Amino acid sequence: MITFVFLKFHPKQQRIVLSKKLWLHPSSLLDYSYFIFSVFFRVMIILPVIISTKEVALFVNIVLLNQYGFVRIETLSYTQVMVLFTLILFILNDFTRYWLHRLLHFVPWLWVFHKVHHSAKVLNPLTFYRVHPIEFLLFGFRYSLSIGFVTGVFVFLFGSLVSIYDILGVNLFVFIFSLLGSNLRHSHIKLGFGNVVELFLISPLQHQIHHSKNYMNTNFGGFLSVWDYLFGTLILSKNVTNIKFGLEKTQMKNFQSLKDLLFFPFIVTYKQIKK
Amino acid sequence: MRYLVVIIFFISIVVNAVGEKFFNQVIIVNIILAIKSVDLLIDNINQANSTRIRMQFGNLVSSWKKVETTYFLGDLNEDYLDTPRYIDIFHGNNEEIKPQLDLIINSNDELFNAMYKYSHKTINALEYVLFTKDLSHQRVKNMALIIAKSIKSYLSEILDGYKMYQSKFLENEQYASAILLNTLIAGTYKLKEWRVGDVAGLSKKFKNKPNNYRAEYATSGNSVNAIKAILETQAQIINSPDYQDLGDISRQFKARKEIDQAISALNDSIANANNMSEFDFINDKGKRLYQSTNRLMKAYYISLMDKLGFVSKVLDADGD
Repeated sequence: MITFVFLKFHPKQQRIVLSKKLWLHPSSLLDYSYFIFSVFFRVMIILPVIISTKEVALFVNIVLLNQYGFVRIETLSYTQVMVLFTLILFILNDFTRYWLHRLLHFVPWLWVFHKVHHSAKVLNPLTFYRVHPIEFLLFGFRYSLSIGFVTGVFVFLFGSLVSIYDILGVNLFVFIFSLLGSNLRHSHIKLGFGNVVELFLISPLQHQIHHSKNYMNTNFGGFLSVWDYLFGTLILSKNVTNIKFGLEKTQMKNFQSLKDLLFFPFIVTYKQIKK
Repeated sequence: MRYLVVIIFFISIVVNAVGEKFFNQVIIVNIILAIKSVDLLIDNINQANSTRIRMQFGNLVSSWKKVETTYFLGDLNEDYLDTPRYIDIFHGNNEEIKPQLDLIINSNDELFNAMYKYSHKTINALEYVLFTKDLSHQRVKNMALIIAKSIKSYLSEILDGYKMYQSKFLENEQYASAILLNTLIAGTYKLKEWRVGDVAGLSKKFKNKPNNYRAEYATSGNSVNAIKAILETQAQIINSPDYQDLGDISRQFKARKEIDQAISALNDSIANANNMSEFDFINDKGKRLYQSTNRLMKAYYISLMDKLGFVSKVLDADGD
């Protein structure tokens, strides 16, 4: 809905977003085929990893039980526990996502794999899935460990009163932020939130800036930009006028096909190890 | 597609119910039986029939444990949070009541004033008085009656409370299932760790220091009886053919494997408890019971984690 309203008042951008050139760009076509691959990969490889979230939660819970015995906080109501759990889950998820994303940029051997995502010359919603399998796995582990940890602690403290507020199976806050346009991160819809809001919430335009060649070491946040603000990686959208997506020309040639996206990072890693 | 989601949503609310039948056949029936038990015990104390007193105390222990196993009235109204502690101080009170009760017996103070503490009127105090003191002594008999009547009064309070908050329990089925599962988990931890592990020398607190006399009702020899009652009540909650229980709900939510594991661990625990005598805590039988109740607790926790279903909820928002 935000898209329609935004485009109605920005007819120039409407032309870009609806252009054939964008949707049939070789980078977009590669995103589509890579998306199909990623669905299979997520089901076959990531899902078994994600299941271990339950194991992590159980492990944390049992360790706490062994360490501190049986504890039950009875002062909070069912609703309060639900709100607290949903909120903490969302914040912790976003916080760990920020740090993993930042590490993907600053640790050289991780950057080799994360480049796959930044190799998109144009952005569309499926660019979200243009992520190397190694990165998928890292995000899977991050998810299992962080969500499993916080769930284990909550179950230890509140038992089965722990529950999550969700809308159609999605964390309430994730749903709200998605409505606020977070799914426009990978698009050419230049939606900014203004200086004040962008200190706390990442606008689609801020993430698009992150995808530009000159500012890719800024705006690592997922839903919240407050992490970028606190840890010195924030850039507000009004400060950037010229955005060119993708990597440097010399690097772009290494990410032209599905095969390139999958194997090029391994080749680079192999060469680096061999050195 | 949208209509399908809405239909599934409403069905999930409807099936997520621990119903009225469960409430009446388990919660209400068990508390009524406990009140009857204490009534009969009061009659036996009045008649000073020591054989019947011993038997009836066993019945009271068993019926009280059934009430305690499903005690969630405190979740419905926090004024009732402490009521079980006025009946039972096992592991919940560090004071040594036995010398205090001896002092009361040997003094000439008015009993009403001397027995001013809640702990003096608990089932633990009653056990000490009934099984170590001479009931032909009028002061001892009066003490036993005061304690038994106090227990009856709190049990009646619990019955009234459940009747008053029955609709609150039944109106929010998801909440009802949550507090019931919480009660099960808490009870299983206490059973495994306090009632078996501490005695068998398998808990962290008493590692390698087994002692049969640490058992909950070591004085009257009702510890295994109490454990059996707890486990039988758990079967009433998760594995009853007579009404919709937590096990049925878990199956409806596709946690068939998890609930089957819990039922299997529960059945093993019941078999192990049935195979035990009061002096078996410190041998292999005690160890087996500890292990099966440990499996049972883990199975409940796994069911709980499964209920959360957090796996799919954030996954789609992952990656950058």
